[in-house]
Amino acid sequence: MKRKIPVVPCSGIGKSLGAAAREAAYILTEDLRPDKTKIVALSLLVMGDEEARREVAGGAAVAIDGCKLECAAKGLACSGAAKVHKVAVFDVVRRHRGLKPEGICDLNEDGLKLARSTADEAAKIVDDVDAEGGHA
Amino acid sequence: MGDMVLELAVDKFLFRFPADLFYSDAGIWVRFEGRRARIGLSDFTQQRNGDVAFAEPKQEGTSVRPGDEVAVVETIKVNLSIPSPVGGKVVEVNNDLLTAPELVNQDPYGKGWLAVLEIEDGEAARRALKTAADYLTLAKIQAEAEVL
Amino acid sequence: MPDLPRKKVGLIACSGEELAEGTVTRRAVRKVLETIRPDDTVTLCLPLFLAGGEGERAFARYYPTIAVDGCDKRCAALATEKYSAKPAASIVVTEVAKGCGCGAIGTARRLDESGMRLAEIVAEKIVEETDRLLKRKPKGTTRGAGREGR
Repeated sequence: MKRKIPVVPCSGIGKSLGAAAREAAYILTEDLRPDKTKIVALSLLVMGDEEARREVAGGAAVAIDGCKLECAAKGLACSGAAKVHKVAVFDVVRRHRGLKPEGICDLNEDGLKLARSTADEAAKIVDDVDAEGGHA
Repeated sequence: MGDMVLELAVDKFLFRFPADLFYSDAGIWVRFEGRRARIGLSDFTQQRNGDVAFAEPKQEGTSVRPGDEVAVVETIKVNLSIPSPVGGKVVEVNNDLLTAPELVNQDPYGKGWLAVLEIEDGEAARRALKTAADYLTLAKIQAEAEVL
Repeated sequence: MPDLPRKKVGLIACSGEELAEGTVTRRAVRKVLETIRPDDTVTLCLPLFLAGGEGERAFARYYPTIAVDGCDKRCAALATEKYSAKPAASIVVTEVAKGCGCGAIGTARRLDESGMRLAEIVAEKIVEETDRLLKRKPKGTTRGAGREGR
């Protein structure tokens, strides 16, 4: 069975950007590219869960971070992924000026827009990785 | 930056204030460099207002009085009009912030500076500002009011 | 030791994305922070904690924490112990769900009504532990100002 590209969101609980990252990961793995991707929990990875580490080992992975602290990217980098592709909601915010995301458990409309745009950008990365066999 | 840094912890938040800088009540730090003053957002101000998405100082050549808007900072949460802590003319702006506004959050007293002004009266400017210790007292009151 | 004007309890949720129970932890913790015990609690962001967040780790070293985990892998509890200090209390959503006979609760992305109810129950358990740690007499649900961003 072809390896699914692991997607790891930060899911930060202190900022709406973290909530948007989490939502973007669900949009990507459930709506946009369900056959090519799967979510892997950051906390399992960093805490050394064997199953989680097997999912990311040896191939490319996508980190979706809320802000520039890049917790998901850092966690992935230490967890055996061959290459980490980074997407940050924060960078998407800069391309959609004026959006003010709010909410942690329930994102407002701006937050959902950001999540969708972030997922779209991540989907392009997934397509590129997939075209190169999932290891780039 | 000098070596001594004052720290304030409120809940899980840790705020730092280099002792060799001066601070306005609005939370803007000032480093006096001869006849010039370099300014930026204090650690408390940047943490309180969130991730900076855009930081736009006034153009070089702009003259400001103390309290006039010297920059606009747009964060994920709010749009801030930054009042100048000193009077003078903007002679340099931090162009790194065009592509990396997160420097304001990551290194507020170093690479995250906003602008440099040529100042009219250094002594008057200093007298109107707070020392790090006095600003810490103010920041503590504001921080506790927000989290409590 | 940080100088806190009053003692608070740190809540650390696993936020696990693969299970609906992970989403329950998130909702329960935010409910306690934002509406039930806004003056007594802070949330500690687990990803930031794992990535080395000094504020998060320092708080957990000196003040009581409650780890709220979705499943028995207990990432939040184990991470808190590994990087700071053992949590003062540990709540596991799958155990709470068994105790109240909850069946299906929706998906990780969207909890259904049952899942939202489970989040309320977990929030109540967090409040019980918070009051115990702060040595407070049990009190009813109180509403406070929203605390977005904490």
